[in-house]
Amino acid sequence: METMFGIAVDGVAYGMILFIISVGLSVTLGLMRVVNLAHGAFAMVGGYVASYAAQSAGLPYGVALVVAVALTVLATLPLERLLYRRIYGSANELAQVLLTIGLTFVIVAGINYLFGPTLKRIPLPELLTGTVELGPKAIPTHRAFVIGAGAATLLGLWWLLERTDFGIRLRAAVDDPAMAAALGIRTERLYLATFALGTGLAALGGVLGAELLPLEPYYAIRYIVLFLAVVAVGGAGSIFGSAAAALALGIVDTAGKYLIPNFGEFFFYAALILILFRWPHGFFKGRTA
Amino acid sequence: MTSVAERDGKAGTMTRPIPLGKRRDLDWIGIPLIAAVGLAAYWLLPDDLALLTRIAASALFVLSLDLVLGYGGIATLGQAAMFGTGAYAAGIVAVNWNNDPFAMLAVGGLAGGLLALVTGALILHARGLTLLMLTIAVGQIVQEVANKARDWTGGSDGLSGIDPAPVLGMFRFDMFGHTSYLFALAVLVVGLVVARRIVRSPFGLACRGVKEDPLRVSAIGGSPKAYLVVLYAVAGVFAGVAGALTAVTSGIVGLDSAGFSWSAEALVMLVLGGTGRLYGAVIGTAAFMGVHHILAANDPYHWMAFIGLFLIGIVLFLPGGIVSVAERLGGLRRGKEGGA
Amino acid sequence: MTVLLEVEGLAKNFGGLQVASDISMTLKAGDRCALIGPNGAGKTTFVNLVTGVIPPSAGTIRLDGRDVTKLPSAERVRLGLIRSFQVARLFKSMTVREHLELAVLQRDRRTFRLFANVAKVAGLADEVAELLGTMGLTHVAHTAVGSLAYGQQRLLEIALALAMKPKVLILDEPAAGVPHSESQRILDAIDRLPKDLAVLMIEHDMDLVFRFARTIVVLAQGRLLCSGTAKEIVADPRVREVYLGSRTNAH
Repeated sequence: METMFGIAVDGVAYGMILFIISVGLSVTLGLMRVVNLAHGAFAMVGGYVASYAAQSAGLPYGVALVVAVALTVLATLPLERLLYRRIYGSANELAQVLLTIGLTFVIVAGINYLFGPTLKRIPLPELLTGTVELGPKAIPTHRAFVIGAGAATLLGLWWLLERTDFGIRLRAAVDDPAMAAALGIRTERLYLATFALGTGLAALGGVLGAELLPLEPYYAIRYIVLFLAVVAVGGAGSIFGSAAAALALGIVDTAGKYLIPNFGEFFFYAALILILFRWPHGFFKGRTA
Repeated sequence: MTSVAERDGKAGTMTRPIPLGKRRDLDWIGIPLIAAVGLAAYWLLPDDLALLTRIAASALFVLSLDLVLGYGGIATLGQAAMFGTGAYAAGIVAVNWNNDPFAMLAVGGLAGGLLALVTGALILHARGLTLLMLTIAVGQIVQEVANKARDWTGGSDGLSGIDPAPVLGMFRFDMFGHTSYLFALAVLVVGLVVARRIVRSPFGLACRGVKEDPLRVSAIGGSPKAYLVVLYAVAGVFAGVAGALTAVTSGIVGLDSAGFSWSAEALVMLVLGGTGRLYGAVIGTAAFMGVHHILAANDPYHWMAFIGLFLIGIVLFLPGGIVSVAERLGGLRRGKEGGA
Repeated sequence: MTVLLEVEGLAKNFGGLQVASDISMTLKAGDRCALIGPNGAGKTTFVNLVTGVIPPSAGTIRLDGRDVTKLPSAERVRLGLIRSFQVARLFKSMTVREHLELAVLQRDRRTFRLFANVAKVAGLADEVAELLGTMGLTHVAHTAVGSLAYGQQRLLEIALALAMKPKVLILDEPAAGVPHSESQRILDAIDRLPKDLAVLMIEHDMDLVFRFARTIVVLAQGRLLCSGTAKEIVADPRVREVYLGSRTNAH
């Protein structure tokens, strides 16, 4: 049926955005054991930089995207060294929650100061407007692009973790930090690199998802619950878990909004509680990919 | 993420177990002291009674959070769910059936306690991020229910027209706020007395054990989850009473009384004051709301920036909260620091 | 003499690894039994199986006649099966006194009293004072455990175990890590344990074993090698082989 297909496409696209943004959160949680509530703020910053670059500086979409990711990563690296490093580890949970909420608030206020409270758009290039034929059905090109990007991210991350040195070291450090250190793996650099990766992906998701998750200053607070849900359901540190959870939650949320618009949110949170009740460690308990 | 039994025994820097032989939670002198300060404020600041009333009611709410976090180690961003439930329950009862203030408090406490008992039993096997998520989810659901049940709750317009009867039939809730404030102060003081009792009881002792090392508690034959659920329910009663108290003294209940922001603010106020001592909740609330009032920020974003920087500062420089400074100055730290 | 602990055919495998096979033993009231064996023999695994920390793959465990094989750990504790830990595991922020108070209250199921005052619970102060006295810990009653010397912590662990009125007490290397100057206290405390208590002690220190044990059980590679009195064990060639290796082993 038309509606079902529409819901499926929107749900999958939405899920892909959630995945791209949340996977960084999942990996940093799995590796550094830090709950980063400012992760949504990073995604938001990426989106805003791209919006500014595209609209005010007139840069083409692709360039704006790259600039957004690069600048966001550069801006957050000092935060890792100065702030985050002090609160790694599951014993510091409360400190993490407070520090990252504080950081979120500062970023939200800053964004409002710089760009004002109105919604910001990132103008899509000609290429991404319109629809793409998929047999008898047509999908908006942008949605198809997002879905493709999500799949590419998943594959890219899988390749990174399974086939590169960095990936092996990352998995080792997640599995057994003490052993990894004993083997000479430079955990500090690993943490920095992982943090950068997570933030970069968040920024990417923020840019790509600007149509689905509109950019306004409260973005960081509004959507962090979603990203946390993906990580909790998928299991911290698990790439495939994040993907599965993001898609599941994306589809459930979209379906809820279309089919039972009055109780959409209700449905989502109830589903979340039931899932986490049954699987408190997430679908994939794994701490590796 | 990790189950109750698997959680590591360390408590981190922010909820460091109180390391001394001499207990440092609310000593008996603290309660009359708070009552005295409260009464002094009544005479010294007659134009700010509305603010003071809000502080008193909020302090009771933050106290409930101290019970679960400071004494049980449960990190939650959903304590407002019980507050909001209590507020709405009290408001609905007042509007429809019985507007006696004590009845309202009782209904609020019962509602908050029941919600906490049921949700606690469902979610307290989880820890870490999962538990955080679950507490947020419960809060969102309560907010959604309040939003949808317009006929009872007024939906997004809020519940208004709550007109409490005179206290004990004698003291009318006047429009200058005198009765409201004294009533709120009295309830807060009673709440502190009860909380102190609980914290020093066999139950309180067991909860302190669970907070520090749940596995060790099982090894002496106790069930950590049972203790946590009961503690969560008790704190739910406190939060519900605080919500009802707000309904009584302000006459309205809004959707944000159950929301994530209110839960987060309570956490900030508690950490500012210092966890695990009961009086930290009162100090933190007074300090936070006092500063907010003085800065009187019209732009919510400015206030946000301020809180944000402030939170970062606290985590980095003052993890023990105001009380840790006060204690250090007062020389209460003895030589035998246990440390966590 | 009442049989307090009866283990029959206890076995455990993790995946393909058999860490315990066909272990059977009994403990009667008043027994003083030492469990010895080379590193990796499975002694701590055995204790974890008996106390319910890990579920067995086969076998039964009876405590004072009652089948506890399927019961959770905490339940077995309530029925009188108590263990101490190899590395002291106490509540660092609580005082010595508070530990004992909690243990006694928990034992008597008086911990859900929200409005009682711990100081005024009937009989609690007396019982705690007695325990403190028996263990020689009265002078540190109000010290937080985080500040105690390690030897005193081990003493507290034993006091804690006693507070729970055990029927069967399993001590996992009670003197391990304790400097020699303090270990005498611990040995004395073990000597003074109630006569009707069945005590199983895991130990490596043979002096301690010979001083304490009337019977010895030897474990090797997850199996019960042999059991008997100290004399019999010392004379048994299998025991020597398992500890020292036979002359025919090429190393």
